[in-house]
Amino acid sequence: MPRLRLRFAGDLAIIRRRAKGTPSGALPGVQQMESVGNMREGIVLLVAVFAPLAGAFLLPLFGVWSRRLRDVSALVMVLASLGASVALVPGALRGEIVAWSIAGPLGLSFSLSADALAVFMAIVSSLVGSIIILFSFDYIRHYENQNEYYTMAVVFLGAMMGLVFSTNLVYLYVFWEITGIASWRLIGFYRGKADVLKADKAFLMTAFGALVMLIGILAVYGMTGTFDLAAMKGIALPLGISALLLVGLLSKSATLPFQTWLPDAGVAPSPVTALLHAAVLVKIGVYVFARLFLSTFVFDEALRTIVASIAGASALVSAGAALIETDFKRIVAYSTVSQIGFIFLGLAMGNALGAAGALLYILMHGLAKAGLFLSAGIVEQNAGTKDITKLGGLIRSMPWTAVAFLLCAFSVMGIPPFGGFFSKYMVISAAVSGDQLVFGAVFLAGALLTILYLFRLFTKVFLGEPHGVLAPETSRLMVACVVLLAALSLVGGLMVGWPSDLARVAISQMLGVAG
Amino acid sequence: MTPLLLILTIAVPAAAGLLVLLLPSRRAPWAPAVLAALACAFELALAIYAFPHDVAFAWSWMGFGAEFALKLSRFSAFILLGIATFSFLVTAYSAVSMAKASSSRRFHAWVLFTVALSAGAVLADNLILFLVFWEGLLLTLFAMIAAGKTRPFATAVKAFVIVGVTDLALMFGVMLTGHLAGTLSMSAIRLPLDGLGAVAFLLLMVGAMGKAGAMPFHSWIPDAAIDAPLPFMALLPGSLEKLLGIYFLARISLDLFVLTPESWVSPVLMGIGAATILLAVLMALVQKDYKKLLAYHAISQVGYMILGIGTALPVGIVGGLFHMLNNAIYKSSLFLSAGAVEKEAGTTDLRELGGLGRSMPITTLCFLIAAASISGVPPFNGFFSKELVYDGALERGWIFYAIALGGSFFTAASFLKLGHAAFFGKPTNAKRTVKEAPWPMLLPMIVLAGLCIVFGVANSLPLERLVQPVLGTAMEGAHGGTFAGFPTNMLLVGLTAGVLALAVANHAFGVHRTGKGIGAVDHIHHAPGLSSVYTLQATGVLDPYRMLVVVVGVASKGLYALDRAIDWVYSGLAAQSALAASWVLRRAHNGNVNRYVLWALAGAIAVVLAVLAVMGGGR
Repeated sequence: MPRLRLRFAGDLAIIRRRAKGTPSGALPGVQQMESVGNMREGIVLLVAVFAPLAGAFLLPLFGVWSRRLRDVSALVMVLASLGASVALVPGALRGEIVAWSIAGPLGLSFSLSADALAVFMAIVSSLVGSIIILFSFDYIRHYENQNEYYTMAVVFLGAMMGLVFSTNLVYLYVFWEITGIASWRLIGFYRGKADVLKADKAFLMTAFGALVMLIGILAVYGMTGTFDLAAMKGIALPLGISALLLVGLLSKSATLPFQTWLPDAGVAPSPVTALLHAAVLVKIGVYVFARLFLSTFVFDEALRTIVASIAGASALVSAGAALIETDFKRIVAYSTVSQIGFIFLGLAMGNALGAAGALLYILMHGLAKAGLFLSAGIVEQNAGTKDITKLGGLIRSMPWTAVAFLLCAFSVMGIPPFGGFFSKYMVISAAVSGDQLVFGAVFLAGALLTILYLFRLFTKVFLGEPHGVLAPETSRLMVACVVLLAALSLVGGLMVGWPSDLARVAISQMLGVAG
Repeated sequence: MTPLLLILTIAVPAAAGLLVLLLPSRRAPWAPAVLAALACAFELALAIYAFPHDVAFAWSWMGFGAEFALKLSRFSAFILLGIATFSFLVTAYSAVSMAKASSSRRFHAWVLFTVALSAGAVLADNLILFLVFWEGLLLTLFAMIAAGKTRPFATAVKAFVIVGVTDLALMFGVMLTGHLAGTLSMSAIRLPLDGLGAVAFLLLMVGAMGKAGAMPFHSWIPDAAIDAPLPFMALLPGSLEKLLGIYFLARISLDLFVLTPESWVSPVLMGIGAATILLAVLMALVQKDYKKLLAYHAISQVGYMILGIGTALPVGIVGGLFHMLNNAIYKSSLFLSAGAVEKEAGTTDLRELGGLGRSMPITTLCFLIAAASISGVPPFNGFFSKELVYDGALERGWIFYAIALGGSFFTAASFLKLGHAAFFGKPTNAKRTVKEAPWPMLLPMIVLAGLCIVFGVANSLPLERLVQPVLGTAMEGAHGGTFAGFPTNMLLVGLTAGVLALAVANHAFGVHRTGKGIGAVDHIHHAPGLSSVYTLQATGVLDPYRMLVVVVGVASKGLYALDRAIDWVYSGLAAQSALAASWVLRRAHNGNVNRYVLWALAGAIAVVLAVLAVMGGGR
C-alpha cells in the first residue's frame, strides 16, 4: 500500500486513492475506481467526525438556554454523523476509499480514510448511538448534570468516529484516549462514592491497557519509522509487540483477563451502559484489532491461537458469571463480555467467513444488546431496582418492554430469523472451516450458556410472581426506542444481504480475497 | 410450475400469520381461526397441485455458500402434503376449540408461521437456509406453548432450551458437513460415514431427533401436554415435528450421507430407537392423565421410526417412513379426541372420567380406531408399518425386534387402560351432563380415523405413491419392487397377534384385580424393581433437562469464582500493592536533610554507573 500521495504538500488536500490491496475483479460487482479531487466526499468525512466531536462543546451553552434545544441538537449532531456515514456507503460498496489528510511533521500527518470496514463500523456506532441519545431524552431528564451527560456522550461518539476513520496510529491513540476520558465521566454520572470508584476503576484499567498499547505503538514506529497504517501493510510484527498492542485491545474490549471493569461499570445510567457496553466502546478493541491484525500486519499463527484461546475462555467465564449474578445490568454486561469473545473468535480465525461474521456480529450484537440495556433502564427506572430477585411478573405491566427484551434476547442467542443467528453461525462456522473444531465446540457451549442466562434473566424479571407493585411503562419514547432496536434486530436478519454486502467488500479490502 | 409456487407455499401462510397478528381482534374474534383455516386450505391446494412436479431454483443471498435455494423432490412433496393436511385439519378443529380462548389470535398466527417455516425447512436445498427455517421453528414452538392457559412459561422455556440444544448440535453438524463437502447445497452433498463424517452425521442426527422428540430430548413434551393449548399437541408433537424430524433423519441417512448396515452408526440409531420405544411406553403406561399418556406415546412412537431408518435396509426405511405418516394420522386424531373430551367433560384426568362412550359415541369410535391403529391391530394402518419395521429389525438383530415387540405389548396395554377408563365403565363425575363435541371438531377426527382405515386396507396407495418413491432406485428388486399388501412373514404376524392377545389378557387380569379400568396396569406399576424407578421418574430426577440445569449450575459457579478471582487481582491485589508501595515511599520522605543528601548521592552514583554501562555496551 503506497503512502498517501498529497497533491499539495502541506496544504489541505483531498484525494481518493485506489485500494491497492484489493485484487481487481476479486469481487463481482466491485470495481476499483481512481478519481481525484472530489471535495464533497472529503467534507462528508469531516462532518462524520467533527459534527459531534466539535459540536459537543456547544451543548452546555445550549443547555443554559433551553433543555430541549440541547437534547435535540445532541441528537442532530449524532444523526449528522450517521447521515455522513450512510452517504459514504455507495462509494464503499464500489470499493472506493475516500481519504482526507493534513500533512504534519515527524510522521504525525492527520489523515482520515473511509474504507468499507470503517464505513461499516461508523454506521453501527452512529446508528445505535442516535437511538441511545433519543432514549436519553426521557431517561436523563430526571437527574442532575444533564449538560455534562450530553456533552460527554456526543464527544464520545465523535471520538469514536475519529478513531474509526483514522489511519495514523498516533491520532488513533488520541481518539482512543478521548473515548476513555468521556466514558470515565459517563460512568461516574451519579456522584455516589461507589459510582465514582467504579468509574475510576474502568478508567484505570482501560488507561493502563492503553499505555501498554502506546509502548507497542512506539515499538511499531521503531520498526517501521512511520505511524501511517497504510505504509505498514504487510509487515510481520514480533510476537512481543503484538502482545503489547493486544493488552490495550483486550482491556478496552473488556475481554479476559481485563473483563471485570465492565460489569462494575453497570452503575452508570442505562443509556450510558448501552452506549459503552453494548454498542460502541467495547467494539473499539475488536475494531482496532481488525484494523491492525487483519488489514495491516501479517497475522501470526501463534497470535491467532492465543487470541482464540483468550476469546474462548472469556466467552465461557463471563457466561458462567452471567448465570450466577443477580443484578440485571451486571448480567447483561457479562453477556457483552461473553459475546465479544465470539467477535474475537471470528477475527482470530482470519478467514473471510470469520471476519465477515465478526463484522456482522458487531452490528447485530450492538443493536440487540443496546435493546437489552435500554430495557434494563426502563425496568430500573420504573421499578426502582435492578436486583432480579426483587423483580418478577413485569410482563403484565410492561408488555412492550418485555416483548422487545425477548426479541433482542433471541437475537443475542442467535435464533433465526434474527440477525444474531447469521453472525453467530458465521463465526463458529469459520472455526470449523479453519479446522479448529475445539474452538467451535467451546463457542457452541458458549452459545448454549447464552440461551440459558438470557432465559433465566427474562424469567426472573418478567415472569413469575410479582414482588410488590407492578411498575408500569411511563415513557412512550423510551419504549419506542427499545421496540425500534428489536425491530432492527429482526430486519437485520431478514435483510441480512445488505450488511453482508458491505462486510464482504470490507473483507476483500482487508484480506485481499473475495468474500 | 414455477419457482413462484414454491415461494407461495412459504409466503402465503407467513403473510396470513402477519395479517392475523395485525387484525383488530375485538370486532371479530372468529377471524383469526377462519383466516388460519383458509390459509391452510390454500396451502393444501398448493401442495396437491405441486405434488407431481419437480422444481428447483437458487437465488444468491448472503454469500459464503448461502443461497436461497428451494427444491421440490418426491420426498419433500410428500412431507409438504403431510404438513398442509395436518395443519388444515388442526386449524379447522381449533377454530372451535380455541374460539373462546383469549390467546386465539396469537395462537393462530403462530400456527401459520409454523406452517410457513415447516414448508421452508422441507423445501430448502441449502443447509443454511434449512437451518434458518428449522431453528425459526424454535420461536413458534416457544410462543405456541406460551399461549397456553395457566403458567405455561416454565414449560415453554424448557422446550426452548431442550430443542435449542439439539438445534445447536444441528448447527455444528451443518458447519462440519459443509466444511467436509465443500458445498452447502443439500442435493450436491454425498459424504461417506467415517471419521469426521460420522461426527457430522451424529450431530445432524441429534438435531433431527430433538425435533422428532426422541429420548433423551423428550422431557418437555409431557409437560407441554398439560400446559400448552391442545391443538398445539396435535399439530407439533403429534404430527408436524415427527414429519420434519424423521424427514431430516431420512434425508441425512439416504442422501447427505451413505448409511449402510455395516456402518457403526446404524446400530447406534437402532439402539436409540429401541430405547425410546421401551422407556417412553413404560412411562405412558402408568399415566393417569389422558393428554400426558398420549404425550409419552408421541415419544415412544418415534422410536419405531428411528429403529426402522436405523436398520439401513429398504424394508426398515420404508416401514419407518410409513410409520411416520401413520403415527401423524392416529396420534393427531388421538390428541383431538383428548381435546373433545376436555372440552365436553371438563377434565382429562382419567380418575374423573368414565362412561363417555354413551354420550360421545363419535369421539369414542374415532378413538377406538386410532387406538387400534397405534396398537398395531390389523387391518388398521399402524399394523402394516410396524410389521415392516419388525421385518427390518429382526434382520439386523433379534434384540431390537424383541424390544420393539415388547413396546407393542405395553402400547396395547396402555390404550386398553385409557379406553376403558375414559369411555367405558361407570361415569365417575355424574354431576356434569356430557354431550357430543360440535361438528367442526368431530370432522377432523373422522377424516383422520378414516385415513387410519384407508391407509391400512389400501396400503398400496400411501406406500407406492408417497413412501416408496422416496427411496428411488434402492426400491428396485426388493420384494418385487413394493412393500404394499399384507405382510409376507406369517411368523411375525403370528407373534404380533400373540402379543396383542397377551395385552388383552393382562388387561383383564388387572381389571379383575383392582375392579376398575384405570387400575388395569397397577400390577406393573407397583411391580418390585419397577416401582422404585417410577418413583424416581415422578420426582423428576431422571429428567435430562434437570440434569443439564444442575451441571450447568455447578460449572457456572466455578466460572464465576474464576471471574471473581481475576477481579480481586485489580480491586484487591493491585490496590493493596499500590498502597504498600506508597507506604514504602512515604518512609523515604521524612524531612531529614541528611537522608535526602544520602538519597541524592546514591542516585547520582546509580546514574553514573548506568551511563558507564550503556557506553561500555555501546563500545
